Amino acid sequence: MELDMALEGDLLMKNLRIVFASVAVLFLVVLAVSPMKDYFREWRGYQAAYNKYIEGLPQRVKPAEPGIRQIWVRKLDRVDRCVTCHLGLKEPALSNAPEPYRAHPQIYHDIEEFGCTVCHEGQGAATEYKESIGKVKYWDKPILPRAYMEASCAKCHKEAEVPQAPILNLGRELIRESNCAGCHKMEGFEKEWVPSLDGIGSKVNRAWLVNWLKNPSAYSAKTDMPNFLLSDDEANTLADFLLSFKQFAGEVPLDSLPGRFTTASDAQKTRLTDLGSTRFREARCISCHPINGKGGYVATDLGKVASKVSAPWLFNYLRNPKQFQPGVMMPRYRFSDEELLGVVAYMKGEFVDYDMEAPQEHSIDPGFYEKGLALFRKYNCGGCHSLGGVNRAEEMAPELTTIGSKKLYEIDFGKSDIEQTLPLYLTTKLMNPRAFSESMKMPKFGFSQKEAEAIAVALLGNTSEKLPDEFIVRPAPTHAFSPQGDFGRLVNDLSCLGCHIMNGRGRLVATDLSLEASQAQRKWIEGYFKVPYSLRPTLTERMPNLFVGEKEIKTIVDYMETSFIADSLDHPVPENPAAAAAGRVLFFERYGCQSCHQVNSKGGYVGPPLDKVGARLNAGWVFHWLKNPQALKPSTIEPNNNLSNADAEAITAYLMTLK
Amino acid sequence: MRTVHRIAGYMNRTTIIALTWTVVLIGCSGKRGENDKPVGTNDTAKTGDSTQQLASSRPLRELSYEERQGAFLYEKYCAICHGHEGRGDGFNAFNLDPRPRDFADSAYMKALSDEQIVQTISGGGRSVNKSPLMPAYGWTFNKRQIHDLSLYVRTFEGGE
Repeated sequence: MELDMALEGDLLMKNLRIVFASVAVLFLVVLAVSPMKDYFREWRGYQAAYNKYIEGLPQRVKPAEPGIRQIWVRKLDRVDRCVTCHLGLKEPALSNAPEPYRAHPQIYHDIEEFGCTVCHEGQGAATEYKESIGKVKYWDKPILPRAYMEASCAKCHKEAEVPQAPILNLGRELIRESNCAGCHKMEGFEKEWVPSLDGIGSKVNRAWLVNWLKNPSAYSAKTDMPNFLLSDDEANTLADFLLSFKQFAGEVPLDSLPGRFTTASDAQKTRLTDLGSTRFREARCISCHPINGKGGYVATDLGKVASKVSAPWLFNYLRNPKQFQPGVMMPRYRFSDEELLGVVAYMKGEFVDYDMEAPQEHSIDPGFYEKGLALFRKYNCGGCHSLGGVNRAEEMAPELTTIGSKKLYEIDFGKSDIEQTLPLYLTTKLMNPRAFSESMKMPKFGFSQKEAEAIAVALLGNTSEKLPDEFIVRPAPTHAFSPQGDFGRLVNDLSCLGCHIMNGRGRLVATDLSLEASQAQRKWIEGYFKVPYSLRPTLTERMPNLFVGEKEIKTIVDYMETSFIADSLDHPVPENPAAAAAGRVLFFERYGCQSCHQVNSKGGYVGPPLDKVGARLNAGWVFHWLKNPQALKPSTIEPNNNLSNADAEAITAYLMTLK
Repeated sequence: MRTVHRIAGYMNRTTIIALTWTVVLIGCSGKRGENDKPVGTNDTAKTGDSTQQLASSRPLRELSYEERQGAFLYEKYCAICHGHEGRGDGFNAFNLDPRPRDFADSAYMKALSDEQIVQTISGGGRSVNKSPLMPAYGWTFNKRQIHDLSLYVRTFEGGE
């Protein structure tokens, strides 16, 4: 029994030894083989091919040592191994090489300092192509397609205009213009001014309103109002609801038209219309308002306005626009009642929409107010428009402050079969807001693909990533320039800031006036208000004739001479014929200024004609402008010619003789 | 018996560890991720470059990043004389004598070196013994911007 057991034990031991030996051998084999797998790595193939590729080049390029390479950016907490295969990033000779060896284009950021994935996204630590581009499960930031590349600039660049990122800039401008912040909370964007709906029942007619609600761009192609894709019933109910608001904010009364407007004889009416037609042109309404798509872009289209608003409203509104729409850019023209009547008569006769659909038979639903209010809330009309007594729905649309970090699993692609990526989701949604579900409420803005992509770029840059403060470029602080007193009242009344910038506030449609008194001579400014001729005949947005009186002109120019002036821009300039003659030669023969400027009706028309510049500008300004145009107006295309003081003085002396 | 069992138990553990290692190592050397097709993604990423068309309406060939940056500068500063298509027929070209250079003229452009183009942009026409009507932009743009522009003006070559 004991022997048996011992035998059995021996046998077991023998077997175990065989097992032990074979496992040991196996283990050794595995140990020997395991480093081999390293030799079949994808990146080794790329590195070998790179060394072979550069051998065939005419220039000598340093071959790559085999091994994993990486850029470690401590401050951004990133390790990017992309440079393991992208071997020629810093080799100018490889600027046309095939990928992955092509040199990186010259940009303002050093690759060593920023790494790759902070801009390109993807998985920096990966060493295989598929994983590095991040199109694998559980990696939320796949590589950014080229069309959306500038989204990464937005992560750090919060300033108004990002240099070298035109698509991002366009996207941000469109977000502002389309007033996305009306519904979506978004860092860096405030709600834009939109007309109030108070008193709309006393302003517009019903047929127009229904058509407008159904398709705003049919009335005005360039309108910022989007299409809410309302059904006929919805549009009718909403129109009834809105038309019940007949009282203007602040209980401003709507005066009826003076009796002579209706009782006038035909001859008187013709005279009135002619007067209105003349004033309409003199006031240059089309500088801001397009007529059937042609003209300025700043304000609403007037081509069919006679079929929209009532004559009494038009009369009252033109008399004092801001009384009805506080915040509107429309200036108060200094028209007499007679002139106002003329303009109203002209507009009512001229701008009729002959194609407008006739109002359909319609019986008002007794519950129109509640139903209309529900629609008003559902589509968040109050997000943009104020309407007294109706509370706004507060931020009903999703906040977009961190939309760029949205995870794919959080997005419902619904019925759509597009490729499921965040950039494509945003672009598709912007172009077709109902693409993913019919129950979405976002209106259609009519963005082109290019515009939708630009907006998507700006949105993708809104991430929750916490980047170190030293990398963030913040917008310049906004100025709260708010002139007071008589001048302040005039600036508001004439809406100067609708087109001009004063000390950082306003809109740059026309000139920045912050240094106007240093730039232009007092007499010229005064004359310009009376006859606002165009300095550049090619401009579309031209200064309107506001018909301001002498006293008001004096108030404005007095203020400019104390506030819109910089003593540092004074400069003594010689006033002798010899200097002027020398300047003339420099002007025409050395610097070729006539390429862009007209003198004696000859020359280019890129810049303003200089024929009477000696009676328009101050010598000190001309001198400083010639020395460094961008210092005075950063966006000007006039080059800095690096003039010596002597040359700049001579040219100034010449220009000041042109009177 | 107890010893045998102990040895057998030990052996078992070693075998398991060894086998586990083998499996792990072999597993590692195999290509991962071959079969987990990621949800909703494929390699045909949308890289259509509509961005180029922002600058100009002409159908552009594939522009590099630098050429595209040059295009934006060109549109703002140069197109007014040299034309959006580089034909030297811009809005202001007809006021100039001699007319601005036609960048589509392959024979002329091929004879120009990159350095000559950079010099003309930086120093203006007079710096290369040409018309002073071409201004100097060397004190308005930095080197990189001039480099980008010099690349972009070459893209007009052979245009219609």
